[in-house]
Amino acid sequence: MLEVSQLTVNYGAITALHDVSLRVDKGEIVTLIGGNGAGKTTTLRAISGMVKPKAGEIRYEGRAITGLPAHKLVGMGLAHSPEGRMVFANLTVRENLQMGAYLQRDQAVIAREEEFVFTMFPRLKEREAQLAGTLSGGEQQMLAIGRALMSQPRCLLLDEPSLGIAPLLVKLIFEKIVELNRVRGLTILLVEQNANLALEISHRGYVLETGRIILADQAATLRADPKVREAYLGG
Amino acid sequence: MEFAQQLLNGISLGAIYALIALGYTMVYGVLRFINFAHSDVFMLGAYAGLTLAPRFGGDTFAGGLAVLVGAMAVTATLGVIIEKVAYRPLRGRSTLTVLITAIGVSLLIQNVAQNSKLGFGPNPKAFPAVFPQKTFTWEVVPATTNLVAKTPGTEPTAQITPAKTLSVNTNQVAVLFVSLALLASLHWIVNHTKIGTAMRAVSFNATAAALVGINNDRVISFTFALGSALAGAGGILYAMNYPTIDPLMGTLPGLKAFVAAVLGGIGNLPGAALGGLLIGLMETFVKGSRWSTYSDAIAFAILILILLFRPAGLLGKLRVEKV
Repeated sequence: MLEVSQLTVNYGAITALHDVSLRVDKGEIVTLIGGNGAGKTTTLRAISGMVKPKAGEIRYEGRAITGLPAHKLVGMGLAHSPEGRMVFANLTVRENLQMGAYLQRDQAVIAREEEFVFTMFPRLKEREAQLAGTLSGGEQQMLAIGRALMSQPRCLLLDEPSLGIAPLLVKLIFEKIVELNRVRGLTILLVEQNANLALEISHRGYVLETGRIILADQAATLRADPKVREAYLGG
Repeated sequence: MEFAQQLLNGISLGAIYALIALGYTMVYGVLRFINFAHSDVFMLGAYAGLTLAPRFGGDTFAGGLAVLVGAMAVTATLGVIIEKVAYRPLRGRSTLTVLITAIGVSLLIQNVAQNSKLGFGPNPKAFPAVFPQKTFTWEVVPATTNLVAKTPGTEPTAQITPAKTLSVNTNQVAVLFVSLALLASLHWIVNHTKIGTAMRAVSFNATAAALVGINNDRVISFTFALGSALAGAGGILYAMNYPTIDPLMGTLPGLKAFVAAVLGGIGNLPGAALGGLLIGLMETFVKGSRWSTYSDAIAFAILILILLFRPAGLLGKLRVEKV
């Protein structure tokens, strides 16, 4: 469904990604793990058009999307819930969700999707009229995911959903991610600091180190790998 | 009565400043730079009015509105063109680059407008009537005549106390109503339409806006159209109360409106409206006092004071994001 081949991204003189190739099949949860600055977020940014790659190709559902501007990809069914959540703090929860469905003209579809998000995260329904900036970190993460879902994506790029969130909410959010994948058939490319948790819910994983992919395998195999355990899973 | 008269004058001038200030603040909101060419769009609005008024305006209120709407359409288009030609190619460059370009665009417009062949020529032109005009004068306290005899036995002389009057020109009322209607429409567009919500989204975080499918360039064009339309309306309303217009007429009102936008909190729409009203009132009251020659200096002194003591403006907030 999503194929990245030999992707190279530079930030000025620094090479952030070097020859990265990866693949996400329909219906999979694939996770990228790696330390800080390994290039996980950059990979997602390059896929969704936030940064222009220097070399390489990105194909989504068979079409080359390399270098397409971010706002065009949403319409193709590829959504990105970015690092740091980036909810519109000056908009209400409801307006945030409506912006998520910006390209959708059919009000009935928007209402249905909104209902779906509210059923998945009832907390958002309670906070519907509140400014997003007043939500807790966990609620903002729910909103960021909900907003991405409003565009009815077939593939979701999800960056650090557990960052800075209370453990209880992390558990809830990960359950919802699994539910989206199993029930709705949503394909997910996940970037996560918490490698243990990420590999637990993923089918496959890639390990990034200083901009290169050093390992690629089934999630269960990676979890058993002594090197991975030592470097990313806390021994 | 002096006070009521000045209050009325101040509010109408302030409403015009508010219209211009909103354009500065909206553009700042989405692009984070001060569009110095905005004051020249205001001037072009007045010239569009000059061209359209003899054809449609002067006789009926509807005709006046047609002039207004026509001029707004002209300046909206110009605003979109200016953004596309001058600012869009600089997207992603430093704010300073765009700011200097804006000053360049402003000088270019002024110089072309002053050229007799390409533009309107350097001489002031009389501004025609846009709306039918009438002045109402009320005698609030009627004139009184007292017969006073200075020394007993002499012929008493008449001592006349002049009437205290409040005079309202229909133009002032039109300025007030049109600006309030425009402010209300803007409020509605920004807060209750999809494109307005998208404007707020882009202004908060352009990257996140692109990630939900908002074409930033389109929203920016719309913002320029909206701001420039308001400036165009402001140009006509301003010119209605002055006998002549000239290619440099935008500079001073533009700067004051900019001060108003900063006073209210740059990027904050209600702030710009409030700042405009305050600057207009302040200017009118100072002009009516014995410090009248300092009225412009006081506007800029306010700018310095805000920047020193409350850089975020009256309604602006320094943004704190939760992580």
